[in-house]
Amino acid sequence: MNESVLMLTIFAAIGLGTPLVFATVGEILAERSGILNLGVQGMMLVGAVAGFWATFQTGSLLFGVFLAMFAGAALSMIHAFNSVTLRVSQIVSGLALTIFGTGVAIFIGRVGEVPLIGEPSRAVFTPILPEALADLPIVGPLIFGHDALVYLSWVVVAASSFYLFRTRPGLTVRAVGEDPASAEAAGINVSRVRYVHVMIGGALAGLGGAYFSLALVPSWQDNPMGAAGWIAIALVILASWRPWRALWVAYLFGAAGRLGFTFQTLGISIPASLLAMLPFVLAILAMLVLTSGKRARFLGAPAALGIPYFREER
Amino acid sequence: MTRRIIVEPRGLAPWWLKLLIPIASVFAALIVGALFLSLTGNDWFEVYAKMLDAAFGSGRGFAETLVSATPLILTGVAAAIAFKMLVWNIGGEGQLIFGAIVAAGVGVWLAGSTPPLVAITAVVLAGAVGGAFWASLSAVPKVYLGTNEIITTLMLNFIALNLMNYLVLGSFSPWRDPESTQFPQGRPIIDSGRIPEFFHRLDWGLFIAIAVAILAWFVISKTRSGFEYRIVGDSFNTARYAGIKVPKKVLGTFLASGAAAGLAGSILVAGILGKMDPRSLDLGLGFTGIIVAALARLNPIAIIPVAVLMGALNNAGPALQSIGVPSATVKILQGAILIFAVAGEFLITNRIRRPERSVEATTVEAEVSPA
Repeated sequence: MNESVLMLTIFAAIGLGTPLVFATVGEILAERSGILNLGVQGMMLVGAVAGFWATFQTGSLLFGVFLAMFAGAALSMIHAFNSVTLRVSQIVSGLALTIFGTGVAIFIGRVGEVPLIGEPSRAVFTPILPEALADLPIVGPLIFGHDALVYLSWVVVAASSFYLFRTRPGLTVRAVGEDPASAEAAGINVSRVRYVHVMIGGALAGLGGAYFSLALVPSWQDNPMGAAGWIAIALVILASWRPWRALWVAYLFGAAGRLGFTFQTLGISIPASLLAMLPFVLAILAMLVLTSGKRARFLGAPAALGIPYFREER
Repeated sequence: MTRRIIVEPRGLAPWWLKLLIPIASVFAALIVGALFLSLTGNDWFEVYAKMLDAAFGSGRGFAETLVSATPLILTGVAAAIAFKMLVWNIGGEGQLIFGAIVAAGVGVWLAGSTPPLVAITAVVLAGAVGGAFWASLSAVPKVYLGTNEIITTLMLNFIALNLMNYLVLGSFSPWRDPESTQFPQGRPIIDSGRIPEFFHRLDWGLFIAIAVAILAWFVISKTRSGFEYRIVGDSFNTARYAGIKVPKKVLGTFLASGAAAGLAGSILVAGILGKMDPRSLDLGLGFTGIIVAALARLNPIAIIPVAVLMGALNNAGPALQSIGVPSATVKILQGAILIFAVAGEFLITNRIRRPERSVEATTVEAEVSPA
């Protein structure tokens, strides 16, 4: 039962989707506060290399995860300063973050006498629950067979959904993303809210990056994660800025990443480059159908997303 | 206690400031790079000297720098003309690649006896058409449906990249050299379609690129159409009241932007590459063009020297590996340059001064937290 093509695909989809869950939920929090951060790819890569390096030095996965989140958050602060304090173009600033972060990740991986590149990770995330549970039919691979970060990602999704839609600070975030002037009039510190949520977004992107270098592809390469950061930006829209939907679309795209292998086991051969195209084609089609014109507002795009906020009078 | 200073928008920044900010951005980035190098046990001075020597130290080195600069002038123009009108075309990458696909397609399809002038013109223009077509996939939905072009141009980059890989690496298409079985290669285009070189790998494509930059400057600043374009860039509403058809302008700009990026692809195919080479076309030239455009402050003429600077950095990267320094140093520098250049826009659009006592009560105040 658990060895069927469907179950194997679902299990792989959860694994491949998990870094996307972290990065997408992080970007949702930043965008809900009104800041578009196109630096996700850069923050994830910096997280990936920081996490790998820390675990490589100490052997501790916990330390790796901590440093990955710190590195992602630190890089995101550059974007927060540019877009909240200086109010310059969020689009160009985000791209700058990606170029810079990509450069830093490759540099750190290749610098020094004994570079990290090609080295296997000293520790790897593995399933944490007893095998007897993981071997249960259906629920085993679906629920019990995962590593700690998969469970953490579920906690992150549930917590951020509850936070955004069921708590007062969450309401504040959404207010800042919809109408910063009114929020300010109600006594909310718009700048502080935006700084904090861009930073949380950066930390989660860093964590997503570390999931690649410490779980999915546990040896260092220049780019262990392909274009995952860019996919996460598309997923925010497909998830219509809601954490639970982010979980499902991330798994859907995780499954798409696994499709080549699945088709192969079914005896169908499709060129890898055409399959690699699929997530991006899906994202564009979904955008055309779902988010054009007035429907974008209906879906829940924050009204002030990407627009610099000028505090003119108080 | 928070320190209070006054931040107010300014109308026109002095010319020296517009020149100083980009130069200061480059120097600030060099300091960031030196920090990275020093902290990892490298001699930053030696590294920068090596880069300078590789990029400008010899005739051949400088020619290579100009070879690297040629596509960047075009992707820079592509980004600049779009961004100026707040069209966020970040799909230069994909438009370049699709331009190369169409150009190489024409280049292998043409009869070998085609006269050079006809063949070169056909291959080069095919790239512009291909780039404009790829841009239209984002431009038409943006103008008629309101679909956000940032995401669609971004996604189309990866679709074009995978399409190119499929045509050469994943199938036996007309783009793939039929004799390359172990290591797939692009099929060479006809000889008469190649742009002639005039000095060590440097070909006349450089002058096509410079001509496009000058043409962009001329159209924007000297023609009626360019005047309307500038009004739309300043304010959609003003333009609408002035009777300008804004959607048509946005569509035209978007397609022109795609055509410029596509030209970069076809000039590579007809110039130094001579075929569609997936490895040489996937170097982030579209994104580097955005750095060029931002550092040139979207001025098409300024794009030419800035592209040479970025070309010099790209050209210096491989030389660093010979002294044991990662070539990614260049990417750190380029990313840092863009971070500082975009932050510097703040100083160009705003004036900062200390409050004068007498006017303090009436002036708008802003807190700048020490973040």
